[in-house]
This record gives sequence, structure tokens and C-alpha cells, in this order.
Amino acid sequence: MIVQLFWLSLVILAAGILIPLITSGFDQRIFRQISLVCTGISSLLLAAVSLVILVTGEITSYTAYQFFPGFTLSFFFDRLAAVFLLIIAMVAGCVAIYSTEYIEYLAGAKRRNLLCAGTALFTLAMVLVVVSANTFSFVLFWELMAAGSFILVMYDYSLGETTKAGIFYFVMTQLSTLFVLLGIITLFVVTGSSAMVPVPDGSSPLVTLAFIALFIGFSIKAGIIPFHKWLPYAHPASPSPISALMSGVMLKIAVYGILRFLLNVFTPELWWGVLILLAGTISAVLGIIYALKEHDVKGMLAYSSIENIGIIFIGIGLSVIFTAYHLTDLATLSLLGALFHSLNHALFKSLLFLTSGSVVHATHTRDIEHMGGLVHRMPWTAVLFFIGAVAISALPPLNGFASEILIYVSFFSSVAVVADPLFKVLLFICLALFALTSALSAACFVKAYGSIFLALPRSPESAVAREVPLAMLIGPAILAAACILVGLFSFQLFSLVGFTLPVPDLLAIGLLLLLMTALAYVVLWFTASHKVRTSGTWGCGTYSQEPVTEYTGHGFSEPIVTIFSPIYMTKKTSTWTFFDRENCIFESGNAEIRLMKIFEEYLYLPVSHAATIAGVRIAKIQNGCLDTYLLYVFVTVITLIVILGWFA
Amino acid sequence: MSADFILYLIINTLIVVLVSPLFVSLVKKVKAWTQGRRGPSVFQTYFTLIKLLKKEVIYATGSSWVMRITPLVNIGALLVAALFVPLAFVPEPVAGIGNIILFLYLLALAKFFMALAGLDAGSSFGGMGSSREMSISAIIEPTTVIVFAALAFVFKSLNIFDMFATSATSGFLSTPTLILIGISLFIILIVETSRIPVDNPETHLELTMIHEGMILEQSGRNLALMELSAAIKLTLLMALLINLIVPFGLITVLSAAGLVAAIILFLIKGSILSVIIGLFESSMAKMRFFRLPSLFAMAFFFSTLIIIIEVFA
Amino acid sequence: MIDPAYVEGFVKILFVCVIVTAAYIISTRNLLTLVSVYAAQSFILVLMALTLWAVEGSPVLLAIAGITFLSKVLIIPYFITSIQEKIRIKRDLRFHFLSPTTSLIISIGLMLVIYIALSRIAQETTGTSSLFFFGAVIGISLMMMGMMVTFSRKRAITKVLGYLTMENGVLLFGLFVTELPFIIEFLIIIDLIILVLLTTILTVGLDSTLEEYHQRIHRFYLWEDEEAP
Repeated sequence: MIVQLFWLSLVILAAGILIPLITSGFDQRIFRQISLVCTGISSLLLAAVSLVILVTGEITSYTAYQFFPGFTLSFFFDRLAAVFLLIIAMVAGCVAIYSTEYIEYLAGAKRRNLLCAGTALFTLAMVLVVVSANTFSFVLFWELMAAGSFILVMYDYSLGETTKAGIFYFVMTQLSTLFVLLGIITLFVVTGSSAMVPVPDGSSPLVTLAFIALFIGFSIKAGIIPFHKWLPYAHPASPSPISALMSGVMLKIAVYGILRFLLNVFTPELWWGVLILLAGTISAVLGIIYALKEHDVKGMLAYSSIENIGIIFIGIGLSVIFTAYHLTDLATLSLLGALFHSLNHALFKSLLFLTSGSVVHATHTRDIEHMGGLVHRMPWTAVLFFIGAVAISALPPLNGFASEILIYVSFFSSVAVVADPLFKVLLFICLALFALTSALSAACFVKAYGSIFLALPRSPESAVAREVPLAMLIGPAILAAACILVGLFSFQLFSLVGFTLPVPDLLAIGLLLLLMTALAYVVLWFTASHKVRTSGTWGCGTYSQEPVTEYTGHGFSEPIVTIFSPIYMTKKTSTWTFFDRENCIFESGNAEIRLMKIFEEYLYLPVSHAATIAGVRIAKIQNGCLDTYLLYVFVTVITLIVILGWFA
Repeated sequence: MSADFILYLIINTLIVVLVSPLFVSLVKKVKAWTQGRRGPSVFQTYFTLIKLLKKEVIYATGSSWVMRITPLVNIGALLVAALFVPLAFVPEPVAGIGNIILFLYLLALAKFFMALAGLDAGSSFGGMGSSREMSISAIIEPTTVIVFAALAFVFKSLNIFDMFATSATSGFLSTPTLILIGISLFIILIVETSRIPVDNPETHLELTMIHEGMILEQSGRNLALMELSAAIKLTLLMALLINLIVPFGLITVLSAAGLVAAIILFLIKGSILSVIIGLFESSMAKMRFFRLPSLFAMAFFFSTLIIIIEVFA
Repeated sequence: MIDPAYVEGFVKILFVCVIVTAAYIISTRNLLTLVSVYAAQSFILVLMALTLWAVEGSPVLLAIAGITFLSKVLIIPYFITSIQEKIRIKRDLRFHFLSPTTSLIISIGLMLVIYIALSRIAQETTGTSSLFFFGAVIGISLMMMGMMVTFSRKRAITKVLGYLTMENGVLLFGLFVTELPFIIEFLIIIDLIILVLLTTILTVGLDSTLEEYHQRIHRFYLWEDEEAP
């Protein structure tokens, strides 16, 4: 039954890919709509499948096609896969609804058909990665996903920055595939089969090598610092629905990869958990610190994704540490926290990307310093973005808080039961940094919401911005409703799936909040005066209120940038030219304050330079001259004769 | 949900709402005395709140629904947070009410809305207040969470109700390190309620505005709600400090006489702590804003030291 | 005599207070309170010696407490305060290598490292109670924090106070770990050295940095009514 539904959804998705491709010669809206509707319907079916698996907990295996013995195309549905199927389904469905209107506004007439086909192909590839039962099909569909996303990122290929972002993204994703492939081949050498079953020999060096390779490969794809640099380029450059899909779903597929291998294949050791925990903590803190200085709304959301992936990795790292210490309750709790946060992050991050796409479309700029006052011009989008901002700042009773409290409770409970005092101190420090990221993300989204929506418009385009059409509101609205409901009913949802967790019941808190607010309102209705008036705000004596006097986004984050200035490492350079030799009469000068892109300048560029130099040296082997190649053949034959005669 | 718990909900809310303005006025009175003035009456805050309720509400022209719902959300969040900190009677926790992390994040919810309302009117004062408030709360958050983690470690529970019950039954200062945690809680109280040396709650100048800047645009009944929420926040953090260090009078079984005695004892203890806060505020000047991270680094150092002592020795 | 768990708690609080005073000395810019904080630190050590005397009853501890009180809580701070009044220096803003926040973070790391190292060394010797082991850790940490003050600040007076903090650390270590008669000789010698050091610096100018030391030593310049730079 599950397999039939699954096949049906795959077929509909395939139809969604083929229809716009066949009709790509015609720039007709109807074909695109059909494709997106196909994506939507198959998402609905996938969501149903995943919910059934989650609630009943049954495990299904299915073999589709056998290429040759040892390499089959088979699928495996268990609860871990079901969680990620649910993520893909919900986000892809809402993105499809949103795109029905959004695509019509994009430039490039017939290319839009390819965009629809690409979206469906991307979704199909991700679904197949998640349900792969062996490493062979995993890598096959991983590459398909990478290729599909590259095509989607390069949609606006005529812009220079998009091309740069696309190429950077392509190189990083191929690097990630390289490491994943290395890990998988090592596993194949160790176990002799490509099935995802537990490795017998736990701690041999080959297994450690496989783990490191897989960890690096998945970290590159997930955006863990220091491999994160492609994210802030790729997400702003792609169209908004694609950014939502990539940020909300594709990063989670990397999380799925690492979880699948950690849970089913390896028996993790303690230092693996510490490595994952440290990588997660560093990404969480640095991710949000870099987000605070961004004034491109989609760049800020990209860095915020890095922070949330860091939080997910903190949960995974804690789970591995607790498993190594045989504290199974805490391990389950932190693993559930990581999985729940993956789901919640997919929900609220895609909500934020879709609504910011509406805002960018309405104001024709991505810079938040040129927006403002949109809460009056685009009221529904403002409400939806607000729900996303409250969710991502982890405020009760929404879903962001529901998942972060799982991780908090596992931190707090762990310091009492972990025996080694050094570990306790490590856990305390990671807890402190985790609290810091949560508070900083609230600051970041107050700044974002305030600059984009509140106060007065800062540019003429924002003053005439119009609300987006209905389809571009329904998609995000479904996600917003999901954020609220998943948060309020988190305790009940977990009981439904079979886990009773030591966390507060957010439904009770939500009801109490409503009750107290209503109580206050009623008391005020009877006791307070009802007179209301609007008037100008105090502008220190100026006649009218100008947008210039408002607080800018840069100004808002200035205290934090100053306090954390050792991390930002601003570089100040100044040059002067003078008229005379004694350098007295000043002619002209140039002063620059630049935020140093540390990772780019000190990690990526040197590595790519070294790679280029090595490539140039090696390319000399192929110098195009026929005689050299004949020489190579000659030398090879002599070597073979020698080996045959002396060593065989 | 037992009848005890519902009674507790009603009693705690009433006590908090009625008692908070008293403590705020007491702190102001002590500060006035140290400055050689007579100061306003101890009941002045009540009169101020009643006066504000009668005035009309003025909204700025550019403002939106954010400014209109913020006072209600603020008071709602703080009243729910008030349910988490028992002042006189400690019942059994129900549905996770009393979780210390949820308490912290309810305060953060109120702060988030206040910061947005500060940006809403489009004036620079509100923006400055919001920006500084979010930066300060971000930097003090690690220290707060570490202190709460130390509390959870010492009392072996994440729930404030359980912590108070343990503290009430085991007597005065069962662990001497509680004094040190008390000092950390005091520092957190000063920071979260925007007292000197972090912020001056008495003036409305842009140089000293963190909390006051964000509520500058509010008027009438909204301003009354914001002032009351600030007073409730002060009372809650004071109660957390008092009931952990000197838990005399906390009752775990409901009885009329015990309740009256508990309330009176809480008033006495709260008044003493208000006097201490007032004297502490009068003894130093407000610090320059960018000196505050050094102060917080010291507080973080102190809290980590407590953790190390607890964990290692 | 007294309940040992209570004593342990009290000593733990004293440990924390000692480290907090050392952290204050590392990170403050205000020279007026520096000496009073040092006097408070020495007073806490006196209290600790008295507590140990109350628990163990050895009269040498009483002697140590008395000597420390006289020399470090009364005499040396009086010396330095009187010099400060004459010279009227108030702030020490020049930091070398480490900013205050960084040095606080390094001190925590230092304490953890010392704890790990000592716990590995002390695994062989049994019979040491946890409090005395912890006293050793705190003693060495105090010494290292004093050393950090010495190299990371530029003004001579702060360097002297860092050196005095180092000596307090050695005293603390000795109180908890070594045999007692050794300590008295140690103390007296170190106090003499300090007096000699102080007198030398007095003639040259307590507010000068060590670079200006060489210039000043030729001139014996006594400050009058000028405020120091």
C-alpha cells in the first residue's frame, strides 16, 4: 500500500518533469501550471505516506531493479526516511503553490518551463536519496540532486554574480560528492557489500577514514563552517522558491546522510560525537554572527541556515556522545531534538525565504536598507514573515522553541549524569554558546523585521509596493499554520509517535497565554479610557518625520558588531596622494573599512591557487605534441617488458 | 489538574499583580533617601498606574498592529511567566509549568515584542533602545543559562517548583555555594531589569535608554501595561533569588493560615531585597555602554568558576 | 570542632573569592582600587589559614596567619597607597598582548589545564582529600594569573601587584600541600625581596614603565604637583 502510493507519487513527479520539457518550445502558462500542480499532488501523496510510516512505525523494503549482482536499485522506508520525506513533501508542496504565480514574474520566457521541470526533478532526486537502501543508489541520486540544483541556481545565468555563485556552488558540491564517494568506497572495501548494514569491525583505521570522509562530504553539503562559503553566494543568486527548497530541504538531505550512516552503519565512538558537537557549535555561533552584519535579506537568511544546521549538528553530536556513554534516554532525546529541529527549520526557513521572495519582487531590491513601511503596503506578507521570525527566534509556543527546548533539556540533564568532569565543562561551554546563538538570532530577526516592514519606506519603490497575488500568499500561509500547529501540539505529536518526553506541554502554555491576554484586555475594557488618537512621533523638533531619521539595519547591529569585533576582523586601509615630496599638501585619499572575509581569503583562495598551480604543472604532461605521446607508449612498453621479465 | 493547582494559579497571579508596584516604589524610595530627598510615596506606582489608565492612548502615524498588540502580549507573557515562580505556595508541577528554560524564553518573548514596538514608530530613540536591548540580552544570555544550569545541577531538577520545594524542605543554605549562585542571580536581576550600572530606569534621555527607550512611544493604558510588566519582571526575578536562598515561609500544603504567613514573609523578604537593590544602585554610577561587555565577561567568569567548583570539588 | 562539611563549603567560597579578586586585578583599569583588592585577597588568605588552624590546630598556621595579616594586609598596602597619593596616577590603560576579556577566558582555560595535569600526577599519591587537592589547583592558578598580570600590563605598579599576587598563590599552595616549617622561611625571604624591590622603584617613580626606567635612574626625579601621563 505504501509502495503503491509511493510509486504513484513518483510517476506524477516524472510527469511534472516531462510535460514542461516536451512543451518547452511554447511559452504557455498552462504547461507550467500543470507541472507545478503535479509537484503539489505528489507532495501530498508523499506527505501521506510519510505520516503513515511515522505513526505506524512499519518498515518496508522494496527492490526495483537489479543491474548486476551486488548493485541493485532498492528502497527502504523506515521512520528516519519518513521524517525527511515529510520535510521534502511539505516544503515542495508549498513551494509549488507559491511558484504558480511567482514564475510568471521571472524573466526568460521559455526558460521558465525548464525551471518547473528542474524543480520537479530536484524534488524527485531528493526523495530518491532519502529512500535509497544501498550506498550505490544513494550516490547515484545524490549526484542527480547536485546536478539538478546546479541547473536551478544558474537560472539567471546572464548576471555575473549568479555565474560566480553557480560555479562556486558546483565546485563545492562536486567536492562533497568526492568525499562521500571516498567514504562509500572505503566502506565497500571494508564490508564487501553496498548495503547499509552495521559494519562488523568497529574501530579499524579504514572505518575511521570512512567516517571522516563521509563527515566532510556531508558537512560541505550542509554548510558547516569552514565549508560554508558557497551558501551565502548560492542562496541569494537563485530564484526565491529555489532558495527555499535548497535551504529548507537540501541541507537536511545532508543531515539525513550523516544520520543514516551514524545510526545504521557505524558504531560511533566518543570522539566522533565531540567532533560533531564542536563543528555544530562553531557553525551555530559564527553563522549567526555573520548573519548580523548582512544587509542582503537572502544572504542573512542563508547565514541563519548555517546557524540552524549548527544547532542540528549539536543535537546529533550530543546523541552520539550519550550513546557512547550508554545513556540511551538522553541519546534518544537529543536525536529527537535534532530531527524535530530539521523539520521545524525546513518549515520556518522556507516560509521566510518565500515571503522574502514576495518582498524582493514587490520592491525590486534585496537590500533591507531600501525597504521599510511594508507592513502597511503588504499586510498579509508582513504577518506571514512575522510568524516566521517569531518561530526562528525560538519563542514559545511556536515550533522553533519546541525543538530547541529538547536540546536544552538534554544539555541540562546531561551535566548531572556524565561522569568525566572535563566532559561536564565541555558541555557547559557548548550550552553557553548555544544560548548565545539563540539570543543573537532573536536580535537578527528583530533587525530584519524592523528594517523591512516597520516604520517608513526608505525608497520610492517601497512606498508603492503592492501586495502579492493570492497563490503567493497561500503557499507560505500553509507553512505558517504548520509552524504554529506543530509548535503548539508538539507534546501531543510526540506522544502520537510513541515518545513521552520530559518537556513542557506547549498547548497548555499557548492556552494560558491566550487566557492571560484576554483577561488583561477584558480588565482594561472595563477600567481604562477608550479614547484613541494618532499623532506624529517626537522627531526632536523637525516638522515632519523623514525616513532618514529612522534607525537603519546597520545601526541596529552596530553594538553587536563592535562587541564581537575580534571575530569580524574589520580591515581599515587608507591611501593618500600628495602634491609635494614632503607629503604635506594633500591631493586625494582613499579610506576603506572592509569586513574581512576570513574564510575566503585565508582558506579558500590559497587552496584554489594551490590547486590551479598543481593543475598547470600536471597539464604539461599533455602538451599536444604527437611525439611526446609516442614516447609515453614506448616507455610504457619497455616498463611492461621489464616487469614481465624480472618481477612476474 | 487538581483544585490545588487552580487555586495556585489564581493566588499567584493576584499576589504578583498586587505586590509588584510596591517593590518598584520601595527601590525608588531608598534611592531618594540616599540622595537626601524624601522621595515619592511608597504607593506612588499604584497611583501612577491608575492615572495612566484614565488617559487617552496616542499612536504614532507610521505605526502598525505591532505597537497595538505589544502591550497585551507583554503583560500576557509576563503573567504566564508569573505562574512559573511560586511566591508563597508551591504546588506540584502540571504539564511542565515551572520549567526554568520556558520561564527564560517567556521573558525573551516579551522582550522581542518590546523591541519590535520600539522600531515601529520610526523614531531614533526607539531604534536605539531596541538595538541596545537586544545586544545586551544576547550577551547576558550565556551567563543566565549557565547559572540556571548550575541551579539545575545543585537541585537536581529543571523545574522551579521542584527547586523551591527542595529548598523549603532542606532548610537554610544547605549548600554554601548557594550564596555564590545568589550573587550571580543578583547580577542577572540587575541586568534583566535594567538597573544601574546597566541602564538608568529613572531617566528618559537617549544616553541612558535601553528599556526606557523602547517604551517611549507608549501612552495611556498601554504605558500602564508596560510599567506593570516591568514591575512584575522585577518581582519574579527577586522571588527566584529569595525563595532559593532564604526559603522561610514557603508552604507546600495549602492552608489559609500558612498562606497568609507566607505572603507576609514574602513581603518582608522582598522589601529587604528591594532595599538592598536600592542601596546597590545608589553606590555606583551607570557604566558606559561599551564597558558593559567587560562587566558581563566578569559575571560569566564568576558563574563558570562556580560551576567548576561545584563539578570538580 | 566544627562540622567538616560546613568548613568545606566555607573554604570553597573563600577559593572563589580569591580567584575573583585575582580576576579583578587582571582585568581592571582602575588603579585606586587595585591595592585594596590585593589587601582583600591577602585577608581572605588569612581567613583560610585561620580556618585550617581551627580544623587542624597546628600553631604554625596561626603564626602564618599573623605574619600575613601584618605584612600583606597592613604594611605593604599602606606603603603602596602612600606612594600612589604622592604620584596621583589613576588609570592603567595600556595592555600588552592580552585584552581584559581574553585574559579572563585564558584564566579559565588555565585552571582546567592545571586541574587535568595535577589530577594525572596525583593519581599515584593517595590520601589527599579533594579539598586539599583543589587548594593546590587554586594556588597554582593564582600564581599563573599573577604572572599574566606581570607580562600583560605596562605600568610598573601593576607589575608589582602581579608579582605580589604570585606570591599569594605560592602561599596558598603551601598552606594546603607542603609541610609547614618550610613556609615561614619562604615567606620571610620573599617579603624582604619585595621590600627591596619596592624601595628601588620608589626612588625612580612608581608610575613609569620599564622603558623609562633606564632614563629615570640617572635623574632621581621626584614628582611634585604634576599629574602622571
